Amino acid sequence: MTIFLTSIVVLGILGFIFAALLALAADYFKVEADPKVAAIVAVLPGINCGACGSASCYNFAERVIHGEIAFSGCVVGGKEVAEKVGAVMGVELPAGYHKKVAAVHCGATEKIRQRINRYEGVAKCAAANLVSGGGLACSYGCLGFGDCDCVCPFDAIEMVDGLPQIDPRKCTACGKCVTACPRKIISIVPHEFGAVVACSSKDPGAVVRKICSVGCIGCKICEKELPEIFKVVDNLAVVDYTQAPRDCSVAINKCPTKCIK
Amino acid sequence: MTELLGIFFAAFLINNILLIRFIALCSFFGVSTKLETSLGMSSAVIFVMTISSAVSWVAYHSVLVPFHLEFLRTAVFILTIASLVQLEELYLKKMIPSLYRAMGIYLPLITTNCAILAVAFLAIDYKYSFIQSLVYSLGVSGGYSLAIILFAYLRERTALAPVPKWFQGYPIAFMTAALMSLAFLGFTRMFGL
Repeated sequence: MTIFLTSIVVLGILGFIFAALLALAADYFKVEADPKVAAIVAVLPGINCGACGSASCYNFAERVIHGEIAFSGCVVGGKEVAEKVGAVMGVELPAGYHKKVAAVHCGATEKIRQRINRYEGVAKCAAANLVSGGGLACSYGCLGFGDCDCVCPFDAIEMVDGLPQIDPRKCTACGKCVTACPRKIISIVPHEFGAVVACSSKDPGAVVRKICSVGCIGCKICEKELPEIFKVVDNLAVVDYTQAPRDCSVAINKCPTKCIK
Repeated sequence: MTELLGIFFAAFLINNILLIRFIALCSFFGVSTKLETSLGMSSAVIFVMTISSAVSWVAYHSVLVPFHLEFLRTAVFILTIASLVQLEELYLKKMIPSLYRAMGIYLPLITTNCAILAVAFLAIDYKYSFIQSLVYSLGVSGGYSLAIILFAYLRERTALAPVPKWFQGYPIAFMTAALMSLAFLGFTRMFGL
């Protein structure tokens, strides 16, 4: 019986001594934290998702204070949180700042795509692309096996009618899909810019017309409407994303194949 | 003096904690992908192991033995080591921030490392004196550092080597570790230890 009592008492005393020691040490060795850290943590979403590359929201705040990461780096919070963090740090958001998302530069769904032969190999874009273009008539367009869907770590890509649909709320612009796509039809663009050319074909307009109803034919109407934003290079309209975003509906509405979205 | 040297080398090479005893393998595979992280981990292990074996030796011989509570040593060692590491962390954060940042996450990580507890136990089982157990823990942590740093070098090389796809990652790491372990078996009975 005494062994019970001694063990309880000895362990209890030991535990008490260590607890007291730690409590004293915590007070004695207290490190004054930068009050800005707490202020930044307060405006962050606080879900510790890790999408910014930091271990937690607290870690993100510390790294912002030490200048290791951009104050606008919170991916989930986007512009709103970036402005608040900037207010704490006393810096303004640059005028051109926008949340970035991935955009797919092809609009040909499974129904629209023309096939010149049947591909029966491994159901992967990377594999299909190696074998005479996966049977597609267009050598630039989406193959539709969803390699981008497979690599997306945020589940932001969903294959709809053989085309990847990107959910801008989930997309963090990490760029995994950009490298996964063997045809390089995905790029990272500013969200809410208002114009994405949904075609990557550099074929002349006459060829594109024959094989695709939603391809860019290089007609230069968009370039005429908004010359600062649209440029037609190699029979393909490209958007200059370095420009300030503006309403592009004039060009979008006049596009004869509706390939600008 | 020769006895202390013998204890050190036996722990350092002949009974290497990672490659011969197979203790603390989780950190051996977990943090050895980069030389940098393995250096951080080994410095933290040397630091914590030496101090914790000293403290647990004192706790065993001055508290548990007089009260005949030797059977409670697991609980008491865990308690002492965990509190000690917390204390060290607080101290380093305030007094030596550069060292604290260098050790970073590894310091709290090895609070629950089996090698730390194993050394405390083995020093008691071998009936070492205080000085002997200090030298022993230095040898063990030195051996840990030696093995993990060598292994990190090898893994950095194998990461770039044309390894067959089904061996990439952990499989090739396990094979490399097995070959290293075989190589360390060559130290057996060295210096008659």
